[in-house]
Amino acid sequence: MQTCFTLKKLSLNKFVQRMFMLKKVISILIVVFIISFALLLEAGRVVNDDEQTFHTTPLELKIPAGWPKPPTNIFANNPLTEEGFQLGRKLFYDGRLSKDGNFSCASCHQQFAAFATYDHDFSHGFNNQFTTRNAPPLFNLAWSKLYHWDGGVNHIELQALSPMTAPNEMAENIDSVLKKIRKDAAYQRMFKAAFGTTLMNSQRMLKALAQFTGSLISSDSKYDKVKRGETKFNSAEEHGYELFKARCNTCHKEPLFTDYSFRNNGLPVNDFLKDYGRMKITGNPVDSLKFKVPSLRNVSVTFPYMHDGRLYSLYNVIDHYSKGIQQSATLDSSLRNGIHFTDQEKTDIVYFLHTLNDTTFEKNKRFSQP
Amino acid sequence: MTSKSRQYYWFLIPALFAISSSFQQNKFIKQNKDASIKVIFINNVNGNKIVLNDSTYTNPFGEKYTISKLRYYVTNIELQKTNIPFKVKNSYHLIDESKTESQVINLTIPGGNYTQLQFLLGVDSLHNVSGAQTDDLDPAKDMFWTWNSGYVMAKMEGNSSVSKLVNNKFEYHIGGFSGPYNVLKKIRLSFPGKSFDFDEGKSYTIIIDTNINTWWQSVHNIKIAEHANITSPGENAKDMSDNYANMFHIEKIIAE
Repeated sequence: MQTCFTLKKLSLNKFVQRMFMLKKVISILIVVFIISFALLLEAGRVVNDDEQTFHTTPLELKIPAGWPKPPTNIFANNPLTEEGFQLGRKLFYDGRLSKDGNFSCASCHQQFAAFATYDHDFSHGFNNQFTTRNAPPLFNLAWSKLYHWDGGVNHIELQALSPMTAPNEMAENIDSVLKKIRKDAAYQRMFKAAFGTTLMNSQRMLKALAQFTGSLISSDSKYDKVKRGETKFNSAEEHGYELFKARCNTCHKEPLFTDYSFRNNGLPVNDFLKDYGRMKITGNPVDSLKFKVPSLRNVSVTFPYMHDGRLYSLYNVIDHYSKGIQQSATLDSSLRNGIHFTDQEKTDIVYFLHTLNDTTFEKNKRFSQP
Repeated sequence: MTSKSRQYYWFLIPALFAISSSFQQNKFIKQNKDASIKVIFINNVNGNKIVLNDSTYTNPFGEKYTISKLRYYVTNIELQKTNIPFKVKNSYHLIDESKTESQVINLTIPGGNYTQLQFLLGVDSLHNVSGAQTDDLDPAKDMFWTWNSGYVMAKMEGNSSVSKLVNNKFEYHIGGFSGPYNVLKKIRLSFPGKSFDFDEGKSYTIIIDTNINTWWQSVHNIKIAEHANITSPGENAKDMSDNYANMFHIEKIIAE
C-alpha cells in the first residue's frame, strides 16, 4: 500500500532512477550471497582435508632379536599407532562390549595370567554360563596366522567378534556395542584421534582391538635373558632345557614355543563336550581331535592346561605324554610311543618350563587397565 | 544500465569462477559419456512377489513354506563387451528382501554395446581373509560367521510344516569360500537379443527375475523334510549353491 502510494507521486524519471538503485542493491546482495556460498564450499573442503591429514603417532611392532619374522604382517591394512593402540586398550577393558556390562575381554584374559583366565578350566560368561574351551593366553599373536584352538578365525581383526557375539560369553551384538560406546565422549575423542573422525563402526573397533592384542609381545622371561647372555640357568633348568630340546621342541618350537600347527596329542574326546577341534572348521576327518599347539611361554600362570583345561598341573601334562596317550587314527606320529620321563627328568623339565614365565609382560603397565 | 551499476557486476566474475570450480571439484558437473544403469532384483517364487512372514509358497516337491529372511551377496559386477569387459570397482552389495533399497544397484558404465552382466554370487575369497570390512561387508550385517571366519554368501530362513526342526523352522546359511565345498558362483546373464546398446548419457533399468524355488531344485533335489538346516560349509551347502546359482534371469531392459 505504502509503495503504491509513493509510486503514484513519483515522476517516471524518478521511478527509473529508483529502479536502478534497487538493482544495485540486489546485485550487491547477489554478489555477497555467491561469494559466501563459494566460501562455504571452500570451507567444507578444508574440513575434509583436515580429516584426511590428521596426525597419529606411528608405532612399530618390535620383533625381539633372534625371533623369526611374523609370517604375515597383521597390521598391513591397519597401521599401528599410539592412538589406535590406546583405543584398543580401552575397548579391551570395557565391559560395555558385553550384553550385561560384566564381561570385558579382560574378564577372561587377565594380564597377571598372561591374558588367560587364571586357575579356570572354563571361563565364565553371560548369565552364569561356562565357555566350552580353556581361554588361551594372549601374546605374540602377530606370529599366528589362525586364531582359536581350532584355527577357525583367520584374521586377528575378526577374532573379537567371536567372544563378543557368543551367547555363553559376552552375548552381545555389534550394533548394540557401538550404540553404547557412541555416547561416550572419551570414545568420540579417541576414535577421532586414531582414525580422523568420530565415526564408530565395527571395522574401526575391531582394528583398534587388534592393535592392542597384536602388540602384546612377551619376550622377557628368564629363558630370554639367558639367550641374551644376561643371566644363566641353574643346573636343574639347564638339564630341563636339554631334555626339552630333545623331546618337546618339535611342536613347541623355540623361540615362540609353538609351531602354530594343529595336532592330536592323544587326549581322549571329552564325552560331554564332544569337541573334535579342527575338524569342526575344515569338515575333514583327518583333522579330528586336532587342536592348536599352544605356546609354552608363561606356562607357569596359564594352568589348567589343554583345550578343555582338563590337566591341572605341569606334572599332569608330563604324565599324560608319558603314559596317557590314547591311540587313534589322527594321533600325531611323534606321540605314537609317548614321551617318557624319569621322576628326576620331570622335576627338571618343570624347572625349565618355569623359566618361560615373563613377569615383565604380566606386570607391564602399558598393557594394564587404562 | 548505467556505468556505475555495471561495475558491481565485475564482482560476479571471480565469484562465479569460484563457485563453478567448487562444483567441478565436487564432481557435480561431469562429461556425460556414461550410461546409467539401475539393476533391480525382483525376488519371487514362480512369479509371485515375496512377502516376508506372510505368503505361503510351494516348492517343487509340494512342500509349503514361508520366508522370514532372504539375503544374498552380489559382488564383483562386470559388464561384458566383445573386447574389454568393464569391471565395476568396489561393487559389494547385500541384497536383502527386507530392505527395498538394497534390491537396487546403481551402476555407471561407459556407453557401448554389451553382451552380458556378470557378478559373483557371494563374497570373493580375498575379502573373507582380509580382516574387518565395512559397509555391506560389515560383520554387523549378520552375514558373517564369527566361529569359522567367512561370509554367509546367501541366507534364507523360514518355516515349513514338513521341517522337523523346532517351530518347523528351516535355515539355510550357505557359505564356504575355499576347498572342495566352495560355494562362490560366477553368474553370467546374457542380455536379451545377444547384446544390448547402452547409449552414452542415457539411463536404463535392468530387471532381474530371481526365482527362489531354484534353491530346492535345479541341479540337485533338496527337500525341506530332509534338509531343513544347512548352516555350515560342506557338501549340502555346495549342492544348494549349485541350485541357487540358477535363480537369476534378465527379464527385461527398460530404456528411459
